[in-house]
Amino acid sequence: MIDNMPLFGQKLKSGKFVVTSEITPPKGNDISSVLNISDSLKGWVDAINITDNNRAVMRMSPLALGKILADTGHNVIMQMTCRDRNRLAIQSDLLGANTMGIDSICLMTGDHTTKGDHPGAKPVYDLDSVQLLSMVKKLTQGYDFSGNQLEGTPHFTVGVVSNTDISQKMQMMKLKKKAEMGVDFIQTQAVYDLDQFKEFVESVKHLGIPIIAGIIPLKSAKMARFMNNNIPGIKIGDDIICRLENAKDPVYEGLAISAETINEIRDICNGVHIMPIGKSLNTVNLLEMAGFSPE
Amino acid sequence: MIISSSKSFDEILESLKGENNIFVIGCDVCAAKMHTGGEPEVKDMCARLEKAGKNVVGWALPIGTCSIHSYDSLVEKNTNIKKADAILVMACGSGTSIIAKLVDVSVYPANNTDSLGGIYQGNVFHAQCAMCGNCTIADFGGICPTAQCPKGLLNGPCGGSMGGKCEVNSDMDCVWELIYQRLEKLGRLDLLEKVIEPKDNVEDNSV
Repeated sequence: MIDNMPLFGQKLKSGKFVVTSEITPPKGNDISSVLNISDSLKGWVDAINITDNNRAVMRMSPLALGKILADTGHNVIMQMTCRDRNRLAIQSDLLGANTMGIDSICLMTGDHTTKGDHPGAKPVYDLDSVQLLSMVKKLTQGYDFSGNQLEGTPHFTVGVVSNTDISQKMQMMKLKKKAEMGVDFIQTQAVYDLDQFKEFVESVKHLGIPIIAGIIPLKSAKMARFMNNNIPGIKIGDDIICRLENAKDPVYEGLAISAETINEIRDICNGVHIMPIGKSLNTVNLLEMAGFSPE
Repeated sequence: MIISSSKSFDEILESLKGENNIFVIGCDVCAAKMHTGGEPEVKDMCARLEKAGKNVVGWALPIGTCSIHSYDSLVEKNTNIKKADAILVMACGSGTSIIAKLVDVSVYPANNTDSLGGIYQGNVFHAQCAMCGNCTIADFGGICPTAQCPKGLLNGPCGGSMGGKCEVNSDMDCVWELIYQRLEKLGRLDLLEKVIEPKDNVEDNSV
């Protein structure tokens, strides 16, 4: 951890428009490509999310990679799902992470084991995401889940994820419950429909939680259609699909669309979270196109 | 009622390798309703085993195989059980384990035990209860998310449900959708605002 680097939580509190991106740990112990990506992001992003066996595909622990990236001068947001650990394991990992300099976390339920590459694994879900938030709150008050006093109290900047489709009443109700537990930021599902996103921002404004809009650059019309049909909460309009279809270079067009989205929503949210699926090195290109420059 | 399904005959035959004198026990309650261990299925099993070269010494159909009084009560049903080297039980795992307590020969299951469910208007409902030992079903309008949400979530759906369907199986309704509809009908949507504490698994853990 580099001492003079402002923590992600401080940047959020300062009101700065934050930029976060995402790194998926390797399946194996070769971190060279991950380090290439994180190096390319240096100065451009305020923090890097490290995914936790995302899509239930087994990969290196985000705690280990988080420590490595923190040591190379990055603010890290360690993701933690409810799928793989019970309440004991989650607390030990959180205490370990915090002690090693990871103080930002993003908590979520996690895709079911049957969706990943170990479908026969036992899914844990000892706690759900609301209960996990409540447990983290206790830790930051100096107590474990069972009420035992901790030796040293951790501090966390705590994020959650959310869909932006407010017609999903149960999802919104759950977000409200999460907010009651104490949430420092919300990272949203990818935004393509500006009206839907504006409605979402309006409907959660009263919670007073910074909103970081998810951005996934599209790479083709096919990808857009696939996401519309398979990813909950995604609404990609025909105009966007048409642009991708007619573009000479659909990857570039996808980045251009994302850059436009970022500029459209800049004034109504607190940051963007860029998830460049399979094309991590494009994150910087996108940020440049959207008018950002490195710190 | 216990929801069970039949193992394949090949798997049963493979498990009975080396066993010759076989006694078959069904169950006239749940397995009979599931057609995995009632009289027709037991008789059919006996015939198939004979055809496969096994010597079936007899069969019995207790009313509830999970609640048998004693070995003698089995003998009363069919004394041929005394000639058996092995017993094939066409009941749930609980029935099979009770039989294993009563006899001194090897016991084999013919069924897989799937869940605690029910039958209503002829339809089989799987996994209605997870037997967690700490019932809070009233919070959810009588629909148990511990049993019916594949993640057992207690405070609302995950982000994986799409169009009211479950992330794990898109043919299945998201149970939170059903809970919402039910509570809306009951005028008790307020229940969904309550933060539900994690399950105390002590009951569930203490066998």
